[in-house]
Amino acid sequence: MDIKSTATKRSLASVVALGTSAVLLAGCAGASDTAESSSSSNAASTTSSEPISITVGTTDKVTTIDPAGSYDNGSFAVMNQVYPFLLNSTPGNAEMVPDIAISASFTSPTQYTVELKPGLKFANGHDLTSSDVKFSFDRQVTIADEAGPSWLLYNLDNIETPSDTTVVFNLLSENDQVFEAILSSPVAPIVDEEVFSADSLTTDDDIVAGMAFAGQYVISAYKFNELVQFTKYDGYNGVLGAAKNDTVNLKFYADSSNLKLDIQEGNIDLATRSLSATDVADLATNDKVKVITGPGGEIRYIVFNFDIQPYGAKTAEADAAKALAVRQAAAYLIDREALSTQVYKGTYLPLWSYVPPGLPGANESLKERYGASPDAAAAAKVLAEAGVTTPVSLNLQWNPDHYGPSSGDEYALIKSQLETSGLFNVTLQSTEWVTYAQERKDDVYPAHQLGWFPDYSDSENYLNPFFLDGGFLMNHYSNKAVDELLLEQIVTVDKAARVAMIEEIQNMVAEDLSTIPLLFGAQVAVAEASVEGVTLDASFKLRYGTITK
Amino acid sequence: MAKQPGAGNSLLKYLAVRFTLIFPTVLILITMVFIVMRSIGDPITAALGGKLSNEELEIRIEAAGYNRPILVQYFEYLGQIFRGDFGSTLTTNKPITDLLGTYGMATLELAVYAILVALVVGIPLGMLAAKRRDTATDAGLRLFAILAYATPVFFVGLLLKLIFAVTFPILPVNGRASVNTELAITLMDNPTGIYLIDAIRLGEAEFIFDVISHAILPGLALGLLTAGIFLRLVRTNMIGTLNTEFIEAGRSRGVRESRLVTSHAFRPALIPIITVIGMQIAVLLSGAVLTETTFEWKGLGFQLAQYLNARDYVAVQGIVALLAVIVALTNFLVDVLVALVDPRVKF
Amino acid sequence: MRNFLWRIPPFKQLKMSFGVQRLMLAVGLVIVSIFVLMAALAPLIAPYGFAQLQYENGEYFGAQEPPNPNHLLGTTVGGFDVLSRVIWGTQTALMVIIVAVIMSIFIGVILGLISGYLGGWVDRVLVLVADAVYAFPSLLLAIALSIVISGGRSGLFTGILAAALSITVIFIPQYFRAVRAETLRIKQEAYVESARVLGAGNLRIMFRHIFRNATRTLPLIFTLNASEAILTLAGLGFLGFGIDPTMGAEWGYDLNRSVSDVSAGIWWTSIFPGLAIVLVVLGNTLVGESLNDLADPRLRARQSVEVAGDE
Repeated sequence: MDIKSTATKRSLASVVALGTSAVLLAGCAGASDTAESSSSSNAASTTSSEPISITVGTTDKVTTIDPAGSYDNGSFAVMNQVYPFLLNSTPGNAEMVPDIAISASFTSPTQYTVELKPGLKFANGHDLTSSDVKFSFDRQVTIADEAGPSWLLYNLDNIETPSDTTVVFNLLSENDQVFEAILSSPVAPIVDEEVFSADSLTTDDDIVAGMAFAGQYVISAYKFNELVQFTKYDGYNGVLGAAKNDTVNLKFYADSSNLKLDIQEGNIDLATRSLSATDVADLATNDKVKVITGPGGEIRYIVFNFDIQPYGAKTAEADAAKALAVRQAAAYLIDREALSTQVYKGTYLPLWSYVPPGLPGANESLKERYGASPDAAAAAKVLAEAGVTTPVSLNLQWNPDHYGPSSGDEYALIKSQLETSGLFNVTLQSTEWVTYAQERKDDVYPAHQLGWFPDYSDSENYLNPFFLDGGFLMNHYSNKAVDELLLEQIVTVDKAARVAMIEEIQNMVAEDLSTIPLLFGAQVAVAEASVEGVTLDASFKLRYGTITK
Repeated sequence: MAKQPGAGNSLLKYLAVRFTLIFPTVLILITMVFIVMRSIGDPITAALGGKLSNEELEIRIEAAGYNRPILVQYFEYLGQIFRGDFGSTLTTNKPITDLLGTYGMATLELAVYAILVALVVGIPLGMLAAKRRDTATDAGLRLFAILAYATPVFFVGLLLKLIFAVTFPILPVNGRASVNTELAITLMDNPTGIYLIDAIRLGEAEFIFDVISHAILPGLALGLLTAGIFLRLVRTNMIGTLNTEFIEAGRSRGVRESRLVTSHAFRPALIPIITVIGMQIAVLLSGAVLTETTFEWKGLGFQLAQYLNARDYVAVQGIVALLAVIVALTNFLVDVLVALVDPRVKF
Repeated sequence: MRNFLWRIPPFKQLKMSFGVQRLMLAVGLVIVSIFVLMAALAPLIAPYGFAQLQYENGEYFGAQEPPNPNHLLGTTVGGFDVLSRVIWGTQTALMVIIVAVIMSIFIGVILGLISGYLGGWVDRVLVLVADAVYAFPSLLLAIALSIVISGGRSGLFTGILAAALSITVIFIPQYFRAVRAETLRIKQEAYVESARVLGAGNLRIMFRHIFRNATRTLPLIFTLNASEAILTLAGLGFLGFGIDPTMGAEWGYDLNRSVSDVSAGIWWTSIFPGLAIVLVVLGNTLVGESLNDLADPRLRARQSVEVAGDE
């Protein structure tokens, strides 16, 4: 889920740091593919006379390929191939570098200036100038579609175009270190002002018919959510370089098992988001394909509502010490290994703290505090010492339609784990996302499931939005000492000092247990054995241009 | 099938009455759809709640008019439908009538295959069962018919996957064509959307073979469901007609039993089949939701399931209303056909 | 007791049937009896609970375990025991049948009686509505109703009620038609006329005379109704509008969760719940078909016509 955390400062330094510390999935074959350098298979494709055609399968869906109308993985995966950006990261890196620009930098605290390369053209022959860039961002703000990413431009005041190749972004607040990341985000594809509408969404068919593309590929055939054919665009003159294949076909599946069958049978070359845990586990044993993994920022956790959980502040028998004991007992009893191996077959791994491994300051605060394996005796002890009568009745809420089909199994197992000791009596209930998203804020759920996909890769994005007073969890957790540290670390320039603070914060929250972290996920793709160049990196963008076979 | 006996003796009058009956039928169906879908709540909160703030939701709900009295909305909706406007999907912003154009052909193609399978399997086996009534053959055929009905199509889909995708991977279990064929059809001029026709127009044996091989399993799964119904129907009606005086007369004149079955008794037994094909349209459309979902056959039923999962109730309401109109129209056409064919129908 | 048993519908027909027909009816009755017994005795015969994941000692069953001595039919992707969930699933299915059938019969029969007896515009409107509803795809109605009833919140009873209610709506027209047709026929008969002449009230006539005669055809619709209820419940579960696994065992849900297993060659998680659905519907339909044959003199097996000889 993406929450607008506009108030927080973001630091690009840590985004860069993540690029080198890839979170690798243990035990899966072909993990080394993530580190594939972009120059390794250069010769093969450029000298070969045989055109290379790659077929990719996905279960993600496109909402629309108009950048103003969608903010989801499926749509962005298509946009990444066909629209250029001012700033971009190259495959294997998360660092922002100019894409179709010569330079891009702050020219004053509130002015970010981009100098475009000269002579850029869209595939339809239209010139790509500063006017198109201004148009692309202005229409995002004008249209402000609810499904679109226009809110990412919260810091943009206006855009000036002193010349055909110069663009100046005037910002509201000074030295916004995250603005560069935003210029490579879903809000920032550059589109053709002669094809797109300035004040309303343009239909996919009009975009395709108008050939309004200037990225590595153009779309040469388009069947909404069924099939897209990408053909290499020779006029692309950006940092990603020319695509190493000639055409890519993207086939959409509704059911991951069909995607799995097709990659297994060799009908497609690459299967990306998302195969089920069973599919990945089965394919990992298959010699004809290889499983490729990359860092993922997704985490899963249980939230406790401090007001209405057992012994919570608004319950009849309010008692903060007993309430804490209940949370701690749960933390003692949960078996993350079993969740990871039995339910997710290793596609999600145990998460022992609040910041996932790979990010600066990530530690294992809960493992140290509550032990690596379930401890029923310790749980019983902490409850007894607080004077809690057992079994504790706990209503645990989960959601069936937002976090994948395994959620049901995950929570059934958690219920079982909490209950085997006889300390808990858990009532599980699931609610559809629409109601769920509302009710979790309205003090209806004593304890509930949530997941988080970061807006940007920084440790801070896993702490401040959650635990600072008034955070999006709205679970009435408040700890003044934690608040102070949270606010201090975001303005701390010294990296080591900041890391120490982040670790300290995690240890403090692990004691209070505002949430119990459970699992974190990775990016997984499965390719035919002969396919090379698939790169899953911390930018979370999969570029078709590097893939060969 | 509300027939109006004695209302007048002309075929035209019957057809006129039958035609006017379409309107109340459609009205009732659309009203049902409206009531059911709106009792879920307003569509905007359903599709976008949790993504937007409460204030933004309020604004959008007001702009779309969902805060007005329900009767006002109802009559406005009827007005829209009357003008042929079934609304646009909330999540992908596509007109519902466009969906019919894009995906209706896929559903039609599957339905035609299914009906063909049903006729080819159901009628001869039904005749056989009638001829051999009360023997082991009859019992076996009837068991087959019941099994065809008793096995949910998604279970059939899973079984077929186990057999044809995992154990003997010879037939494709998902999609309407492989990537190359689909690309060729997408890129051709004025594709009909019916893949078999398009593949034949492309003239490449490889494409035709590919399209047919993809259609076999879904066509069989949906077709056998209906074949069971046809089998029982033909059997019952044949037994009925074989006992009539007309056949008895033939029998006494020494006409061979096999000839009685194939020629004399067959035609009268066909009429209920035509009626049932019409009534099966609703069943087929219902079955198509599950069949298309199971085999990823991207037709209207598949889309409906996708929009249901996205909780896009404007799209669901639109598609269902559109299907209701189609069902009502088909039923009318079937009644007309029966009236023209069946000498027993009195006007 | 014995005499009584042979007089209630399916058993009475069993006695008067012959040959293949008798076999079909008997097989159907056996399957249905086993199904009902399983539902009643599920707590005794199921080796584990439907939501149980661990042994008494805390050890996990393990997910996707192939059939073995501890788990005769293996375990599911979520780590449940397949055999236990198949057995417990009979309870859920039976509950849906009971609720759906009772509601459909109650409303359908009453409307049919009213419509047939009163005639006029009431009759015409009801017939029109019944025809329209009959044309409505039932699964779609079930999905919509399941969302309405549950308000997006899962639960054993909301799931059961959703399947039952949607089946009710679809089946009311069938009971309605059958009862209405019978009512129309009987209305013309002399004894109803005479009752009216004697000054009996409308209600009294309807219930005393017509009801007793008009309900002969109902057992046939009843079995179809039960089958549809199970298939709809399974369809809902398969599409993800069903019952949470920890609240009740439901075969459609288990099939939904087994889709990935199938493509990995794990067959035991789908075959058994699927077979359970097929068998129960098969049993029901065998009973229904046989009753239908026996009620129709043209279809009754020839021997029985000779023996009964009263048609």
